[in-house]
Amino acid sequence: MNTKELLVQLSNVDGPSGFETLVLDVIEPILQKFCDRTWRSGLGTLVGEKKGSGKKKIGIFAHADEIGFVVTKIEEDGFLRLETVGGVDPKALLAQRVKIYSKRKIVSGIVGTLPPHLQKEEHRSRFPDYDRIFVDVSFDEAASEVRVGDVCVFDVKAIEVNGKVSGKALDNRAGCASLLLAAEFLQRMKHDSDVYFVFSSQEEIAGPGAASIAYELRLDEAIVVDVTHANVKHSVYPVIKLGEGPAIGVGIPVDYGFYKRATEIAQKHGVKIQTEPIPGRSGTDTDQVQITSVGVKTLLISIPLMYMHTPVETVDPKDVEETARLLALIAAE
Amino acid sequence: MYLKELSLINGASGDEGRVRDFIKRTIQDKVDEVWEDRLGNLIAFRKGTKGNRKILFAAHMDEVGFMVTNIDEDGTLLFAPVGAVETQVVVGKQVKIKDSIMGVIGFKPIHLQEKDQLLKPIRYEELRIYIGARNKEEAQKMVSIGDYVNFVTEYRQNGRRASGKAFDDRVGCSVLMDVIDKRQRYENDVYFAFVVQEEVGLRGSAVVVEQVKPDVAIVIEGTIAGDDPGLEKDRWSTHLGEGPAVTFMHSGYVVNQKVFQAILSVAEKHGIPHQFRRRTPGSTDAGRLARTGPGTASGVISVPTRYIHSPVCMIDLEDYANTVLLIEKILEEGEVFAK
Amino acid sequence: MIELIKKLTQAYGPSGRESEVQKLILEELSDHIDGYKFDAVGNLLVWKQGSSGKKILFDAHVDEIGLVVTNITDKGFLRVDAVGGVVPHTFVGHRVRFPNAVGIVYVEGETEEERKKNWTNLTLDNMFVDIGAKSYEEAKSKVPIGSFGVYDSYFYQMGDYLVSKAMDDRIGCAIVVELFKRLSSCPNTIIGSFSVQEEVGLVGASVAAYTFAPDVCVAVDVTDSADYPKAFKRHSMVLGKGPAIKVKDKASVSNRQIVEKLVELAEANHIPYQMEVLTFGGTNAAALQRTRAGIPSATVSIPTRYVHSPSETVCLSDVENAVELLIQYAMKGV
Repeated sequence: MNTKELLVQLSNVDGPSGFETLVLDVIEPILQKFCDRTWRSGLGTLVGEKKGSGKKKIGIFAHADEIGFVVTKIEEDGFLRLETVGGVDPKALLAQRVKIYSKRKIVSGIVGTLPPHLQKEEHRSRFPDYDRIFVDVSFDEAASEVRVGDVCVFDVKAIEVNGKVSGKALDNRAGCASLLLAAEFLQRMKHDSDVYFVFSSQEEIAGPGAASIAYELRLDEAIVVDVTHANVKHSVYPVIKLGEGPAIGVGIPVDYGFYKRATEIAQKHGVKIQTEPIPGRSGTDTDQVQITSVGVKTLLISIPLMYMHTPVETVDPKDVEETARLLALIAAE
Repeated sequence: MYLKELSLINGASGDEGRVRDFIKRTIQDKVDEVWEDRLGNLIAFRKGTKGNRKILFAAHMDEVGFMVTNIDEDGTLLFAPVGAVETQVVVGKQVKIKDSIMGVIGFKPIHLQEKDQLLKPIRYEELRIYIGARNKEEAQKMVSIGDYVNFVTEYRQNGRRASGKAFDDRVGCSVLMDVIDKRQRYENDVYFAFVVQEEVGLRGSAVVVEQVKPDVAIVIEGTIAGDDPGLEKDRWSTHLGEGPAVTFMHSGYVVNQKVFQAILSVAEKHGIPHQFRRRTPGSTDAGRLARTGPGTASGVISVPTRYIHSPVCMIDLEDYANTVLLIEKILEEGEVFAK
Repeated sequence: MIELIKKLTQAYGPSGRESEVQKLILEELSDHIDGYKFDAVGNLLVWKQGSSGKKILFDAHVDEIGLVVTNITDKGFLRVDAVGGVVPHTFVGHRVRFPNAVGIVYVEGETEEERKKNWTNLTLDNMFVDIGAKSYEEAKSKVPIGSFGVYDSYFYQMGDYLVSKAMDDRIGCAIVVELFKRLSSCPNTIIGSFSVQEEVGLVGASVAAYTFAPDVCVAVDVTDSADYPKAFKRHSMVLGKGPAIKVKDKASVSNRQIVEKLVELAEANHIPYQMEVLTFGGTNAAALQRTRAGIPSATVSIPTRYVHSPSETVCLSDVENAVELLIQYAMKGV
């Protein structure tokens, strides 16, 4: 599979938290090529099973949902109000095109802005928040189809920027891509463990999608693949760089032995990795999966990603490939 | 209508060449004379049947955009706006540098922002364009300081609406090109000026008066609407669907009363839907034309445009059609002069 | 149904002390269920057996918000803390009902300045309760530390609007009770969960579904009604347009299939309904969905004005239409 094309394809499909069906519809046929069987859970999660000799059960997780919006109110004259699903910075929403999934049609909208000299005095020094933001759907003749509760996403097509891929939803379609590439690698490898590729739902709103599968499958080990902030300084943490390989987490939500094993495997096979210290919760599915049922030994591998939660999230396809390689090597160990 | 083609061409103030080439190619066989002046304005002339007086129509070719001002150590670009672009419309957008290199303007992820930073207005020094370069050296091989940057926006049409970038003032350019297409000869000599650098201080239009010496001028613009839930009805500037907007006053200029009344009476006589531009901030080339050389009485007619100076503007196509119609009728009537 | 709603809303049942309400519910339901039990944290679970093999759990929380006595002053006045999301302003000058006494809630202020400051920044820390006790001992004997109090507010009607404390969530309880009363020959097994301690953190609902393994869970709770002056501008819910089918609130996104099924059934049976997105708050659905290996869950809400005040206001027709909708879902939802 071509990594760049896969990333673009996955970025361009729409699936905010709780509404992941379209994304799973794209992933499942690809997954089926590399797994013994696939199925979907009641909570909107897709699982692919690849049996080994049954020595232990390892799950590899990537959440399939993206941040998005939902229509909360329909105002007069073709304007809508929105609520965010997952944390979308309102600053990234202004002057953007959006798509609203009404029952029968996709309606096109523009998040409007008011030039400063027309704004009220007290508004000029504050960015509009969700109570001031509105979507203009008067553009679309199908605007009357929109109803409260309809789901909305950025209307943005992924592009290539000097070899990197930039688009919406790469958090966490980059993770999903690495799972699919890992499944492809694993085809040519022997593995004792039963491996489960899990494309989970509702991570962006801390939903139960991933943990429920960990519970149901009685997993022994779980690797969660998500994204982490790249090329940005924050507080006391190391800068994770784009293009320098996946970041392996060490700390509270990660099993230390598992972490050590992963770094040894990476070293042995020349996979370049970075380290991400986690002194508390990670803010990913790892936190809940770890404390499911009798407990699961967890590992967190994060793909470096710039501009998280904006429509121009950017990843390096090389990082995605190295992550996939590492996942396959760990699963086959 | 040429709005789609014009909208997609990149041409910020000072970089209008590609826009000018397209317009020149398209109109040159339809007018008596066309020339490019020292500043880069494109002026076209169609002789009148009586030729006793001269009327000038002006629209500006430049759009707002950005310029690369510096290259950071990490390979990202610092930039400044060309024309008035609020930072609030810039975050999370795809851009093109010197019409060839793709870039994105991101922002610090919400998770890493301080609580009070969330709604604080952003300054340009906080923003960067990412072009996929790993460091300054690599970036320098791709772009240079002074390169122009434009938004990347698809043009779309749906029913009576159109949306895309640069409607201010490609909409004006398109209107004039449509009038030229009618190949009508009127009583008066007509000049069509496609001017440069309006957004950075009404500069191109400054040199047109000396070359043309018009008796009256009418500027065709894309103007602010403001007709959305952000403002109460009685504070809107214009409203999409009510027709071309006629200005009585804007920043730095009150439209000559005779010209203003003449425009209104032509619209009323021919039953063309029209509205007033109801808020006065904002300026146009009319202000410059009135102040240059001997001064020219100028009117302003605009197509209401939502979300002006942002990457996605929207107009009503019937407003557009009525604007073209209004100009044709003004030319037919021939009596919009100040004296 | 009005009598049932009156009885349930007037009953005493702050979070952690719900038994009186659960007793009333059992009395109402005794002839209409096949069995009941109380689980380890105190949830009341009832059921009506069906033959299809499919199980639907309907949940309404029994607890209401209130105050808990944390201290007694030496003059016999009480200090209190919030139980659930209490807005202190709604208690000022109002009465609070304890098992053995009624008290008046008021604000401290020794000087003009302090008074102004306290009234502007109202917190339970600068408030107290007066039960008319003349001494510490007297207060202690009537309302010992650890006593729970609720709004002392009567039930009344404004046309077809019903007003009382604790519509959140006794209205949900009334709906589920009525559902069991009217359900006959239902193919699916219906479980009623009258759960505890929702207001302090969805406690009861976290475990209520554990022993049953239902196929779906539907919580019945209240939601905002944005039809009074300058109510929340982003909310679309109003009184009188029918029960609200919740798409999302701050704690969860309703399972899409359940939402679509509810809409389908409402339209097929001409039951008025409205779609709901709530920009704050959460319901027991958020906890129920995490049980064991996860259970698809959703919420049906009753638009309510003035939630978490002594005068929560609902529209009777919304309540009755909610019962109709849930009956349809019970019969044909899975």
